[in-house]
Amino acid sequence: MSPTTWGWLVLLFPLLGTITIGLGFRTYSRAAGVIGTAAIFLAFVCSVGALIALLGRTGTHREVVSSLWNYDVSAGVDAKLQILIDPISVFMMLVVSGVSTLIHLYSTAYMRSDKGYSRYFAYLNFFVLSMLVLVTGGNFIMLIIGWAFVGAASYLLISFWYRRSTATRAGIKAFVINVLGDVGLVLGTFFIYRHTHTVSFLGSFAAAPHVFHTDSPDLVAGCLLFLVGAFAKSAQVPLHTWLPDAMEGPTPVSSLIHAATMVTAGVYLIVRLHPLFQLAPTAAEVGAIVGCMTLLIAGTIALVVTDIKRVIAYSTMSQIGYMIMGASSGAYAGALFHLMTHAFFKALLFMGAGSIIGAMAGEQSLDRMSGFRKALPFTFICFLAGGLALSGVPPFAGWFSKDDILAFMDHRGGIYEVLGILGYVGAFLTGAYTFRLIFRAFYGEPSPEARELEHGHLAHAEVHRNPANGEEEDTDVGFPGPEHVIAEREPAMKVAMGILAILALVGGFVQVAGVDAVISKFLATAFVHTPLASPADQPSVGFDWIGLVVGAIVGLLGIGVAYRVYIAKPGTSAALQARFAALHNFLVHKWYFDELIDVVVVRPALTLGRFAQAVLERVFISGALTGGVTGIVRSGSAAVRRAQTGLLRLYAGAVVLGLTAVVLYFLISAK
Amino acid sequence: MNAHPYAMSFLLATAHIHGPHISWAELSPIAVLGVGALVVLLVGLASSQMVRARLVPTLTLVAIAGAIGTEIWRFSHAPQTIVAGALRIDDLALIADLVCAVAAVAAVLLAWRARAPREAGQGEFHSLMLFSLMGMAVLVSAQDLITLFLGLELLSIPLYVLCAAEYRREGSLEAGLKYLIIGSVGSATLVYGLALIYGATGQTGFGAVAHVLASQSGGGLLGDPLLLTGIALVIVGFAFKASVAPFHQWTPDVYEGAPTAITAFMATATKAAAIAVFLRFFDFTLTAEHVNWAPALAALASVTIIVGNVGALGQSSLKRLLGYSGVAQAGYMLTGLVVGTRLGVSATMFYVVAYLLMNLGAFAVIVHQERVSGSDRMAALSGLGRRSPLLAWSLTIAMLALAGIPGTIGFIGKVQLIHSLVNGGYGWLAIVLVVGAMISLGYYLRVVAAIWMTPADARGVAVAGAGPLAGAPVAAFPPIAGGSPEADLQASAGGGALGVERLTGDPELLLVAGVFGALCIVFGVIPGPVFEFVAHAGAALVGLR
Repeated sequence: MSPTTWGWLVLLFPLLGTITIGLGFRTYSRAAGVIGTAAIFLAFVCSVGALIALLGRTGTHREVVSSLWNYDVSAGVDAKLQILIDPISVFMMLVVSGVSTLIHLYSTAYMRSDKGYSRYFAYLNFFVLSMLVLVTGGNFIMLIIGWAFVGAASYLLISFWYRRSTATRAGIKAFVINVLGDVGLVLGTFFIYRHTHTVSFLGSFAAAPHVFHTDSPDLVAGCLLFLVGAFAKSAQVPLHTWLPDAMEGPTPVSSLIHAATMVTAGVYLIVRLHPLFQLAPTAAEVGAIVGCMTLLIAGTIALVVTDIKRVIAYSTMSQIGYMIMGASSGAYAGALFHLMTHAFFKALLFMGAGSIIGAMAGEQSLDRMSGFRKALPFTFICFLAGGLALSGVPPFAGWFSKDDILAFMDHRGGIYEVLGILGYVGAFLTGAYTFRLIFRAFYGEPSPEARELEHGHLAHAEVHRNPANGEEEDTDVGFPGPEHVIAEREPAMKVAMGILAILALVGGFVQVAGVDAVISKFLATAFVHTPLASPADQPSVGFDWIGLVVGAIVGLLGIGVAYRVYIAKPGTSAALQARFAALHNFLVHKWYFDELIDVVVVRPALTLGRFAQAVLERVFISGALTGGVTGIVRSGSAAVRRAQTGLLRLYAGAVVLGLTAVVLYFLISAK
Repeated sequence: MNAHPYAMSFLLATAHIHGPHISWAELSPIAVLGVGALVVLLVGLASSQMVRARLVPTLTLVAIAGAIGTEIWRFSHAPQTIVAGALRIDDLALIADLVCAVAAVAAVLLAWRARAPREAGQGEFHSLMLFSLMGMAVLVSAQDLITLFLGLELLSIPLYVLCAAEYRREGSLEAGLKYLIIGSVGSATLVYGLALIYGATGQTGFGAVAHVLASQSGGGLLGDPLLLTGIALVIVGFAFKASVAPFHQWTPDVYEGAPTAITAFMATATKAAAIAVFLRFFDFTLTAEHVNWAPALAALASVTIIVGNVGALGQSSLKRLLGYSGVAQAGYMLTGLVVGTRLGVSATMFYVVAYLLMNLGAFAVIVHQERVSGSDRMAALSGLGRRSPLLAWSLTIAMLALAGIPGTIGFIGKVQLIHSLVNGGYGWLAIVLVVGAMISLGYYLRVVAAIWMTPADARGVAVAGAGPLAGAPVAAFPPIAGGSPEADLQASAGGGALGVERLTGDPELLLVAGVFGALCIVFGVIPGPVFEFVAHAGAALVGLR
């Protein structure tokens, strides 16, 4: 079969899954998990099929476009239902469907006692469908559809426990910020379409060098708008504030959407549109700088946050910062490599966190957890594997992929070298916050819950409370049902976490400098016309290894600091907090971003809104415009109804009057 | 001698007193309907109740199916002018025929258990419907002023009777009488206009009229008051049939009073036929006069859009609401006609197809609603989403499609119309169309809200269960997961009383509602096949840009 046939099949299975579960949830509610997991697994199998089919081709034959039908080809728009199968999309398909399969599997156990079990799988399948549409779409229209759909799916899943006020609020926040990104994407598309007169990717890329010169104003504007879309979806500064709140969703959702797949869509966008960004270096620099800022800011915040899921969320932002920075600098293969390894270890960390939260009966605060090492041995090993990979300790996955990006940037020089060096500072922070998490949750004196579990009893809350604000949960629809689960007792969770742990350990070996370069070679055809992909622009093997060694040292240094603060000399952290109260406060308040946005955007908007409501709305809009218009419509409606007397002679009269008017018009217009 | 084909055939006919040559293959769609109507009328005389109640509608369906078959058989052949130039079987005619025939199939299904055919007599009811359908087929193929008028009358007269089919109900009789009287005014106007056009050009064949008008361009007939008055009167006559404002006033009254199956038939088939003949007459016969009639039609279209949409706002009866909505939609379709381009013709026919799909689904739900609650009040819809999810979804989709929400066929239809308008230099009319669509949300969404937002009270459920024809459970069909906050609770109740939702309603209504609701979405997402289908219509009218 051709790669595109496989590609369509990849989209078909999640679609079928969504529809089957969505329509039939009442008939076979318990089977929803099996159906959902099977649908995504089949999508993964077909992704592998697409990979094999694509490997059978060479060079430009690896870019295959297929249109199922025209949606609307008129007025100069060529809107088709079109997919583009090339190394980039196949790579993304594999990552998305593969990780999704494991998370579906994990969810079948984790969500078992939830009242919305089948609704959950319908949403989750819909999310995977949307994400696959996003990464396979062959034109901007499909990209926008996928982009908007994943936003919608994310909203549905963040607000999944819709009786939780914090969850619904977080959902709204995420949706609003994501829509801001959608607007950026749509407007950016318009800037490009205006000049290239096509919405298809390959057509636009082919036309771009002819209609744009380097840093054409419209092109830069378009690319900056794309970046707004990427920043919103990938939670980059200053559009990142929705991601920590999105942790209100069920933990597997955080794992799938808010760590492994959806939030990396921004990276995919930049890589997919790299021919445009190459022509707009100014926009690319903005992307790199913002990525670097995000990785540092998020890394520092992760040092002080106490909610276990939010720590991982800030870590996610920080890691995506690396990818955005890398993709904007031209390290496309490196960014995608890091995207893949990050998907493995970050999904794993969230799954582990879900297990701990289960053991804590829903509690998420690190302040209450400690000493789970003996109580949760399997979770501990998995979490440790993920943590080592994240911190960039050799020879785990994150070590290779992070340094792939940083070595490229340092080699490229100029501003990129500075950003690359700042990236190593981020690596230090990564080691520190990751192991702060591990040391606090797994080491030290076992907490009461851990002790209970060591005796074989899973802690069970009398009354379920929302960890965010202490409200009582509505377990009829709400919090993961009355039961909690831990990986140690659930084979499905064990399998999913085990596979990811192995991938986090060995996933990096596919691309080792000087040894092999599976990913770069596979992706090479997609970047063949890219100036930055020439061999001269690649760092040498020796340079790569220097970077790797530096990265390892820096990461271990971070771990060492965490060890000193939390294990060797417990109590240091309290002392540090007291000593640097101002700094700590600054970080606890997340660099005051929420407050900043409140002051800069929300408050002025509110003030303006109040003013507008009081003056513009009441007087001008309600009074004159709307009042006028609705008044006209309403009186028109009344007039039409009044004319509708039901009396035949009046109808005939109206016909005659109308007839006279038409005849008169013709006679007058004639002469 | 430079023998003109029309003159030639006329000469031949007088010389030999032979009938004109008839090409039965081309005539077959019309002939099948005529034969079917006669057979149905005769079978309707049978004394057995069983034969009348079951066989007659079945035979009617067979006749329509035969017509559909022959229409598909003749589709995309080269256009043929048959019966001595009286009829022209081309793709425009066949598309309109198909639309009307599908509407008739739906109407027969909607009338399957209705009061109207029982009161009026099964044979009479169904044969009148077939005759009316035959009239439409003649009308849309008409290639001659005389045939045009014949077709129009053959279409209208059975409908006058059908409107009054429930003759024990005052409203039905009133509708029939009103339609008859006002319809006669319209027909009279039309025939007067046709006479004036004949008087001005000296020809009755469309081709010949077009030829005369084209050959004298740059003076001569173009400004001729006789011709222009004729055109004005023809516009009024057609506008009347297509319920274009200000000649629409019969529409809400008649739609409300007539049996609902007939309302559905009138709303879709009559409008499709009227729009098709409008297209043929103006965009082919009078295309040389485009500069004169286009502004007048544009003005009528905008008045229609505004009046229809504004009028629908305050309605509480669904049939009246759809009547006004039909007026507004006729205005939309008229805009595609105004530009007088091939694109415009295709866009109009696309919208005709869309209009058919959107309305039939809605009417099926109204018939159901009338059977279970005895009225077509909007308030009676409350809780439909719970009682009968399939019907609720169909009506929701129909309303959203009529309003032009993306993802439905109504959206594509409006995009096509706007595209043709902007291309044809009528941008302002496109703006009127959009404003009209905006106003229309005010009443379409009210229907959607009535379906879903109000919870079903216990009484509503009881009424639904106790209706004489309710019941007939087919299969469990729950609403979409998460569709309502209670969905999860019900899911957990699994197998409990609430968990077993039944597909309530008569199977033929569910079929019509389900099929047309689904088609609105399918063709809204995959409009390609419909595009290709209607592109034939644009190609059928020669001489267009």
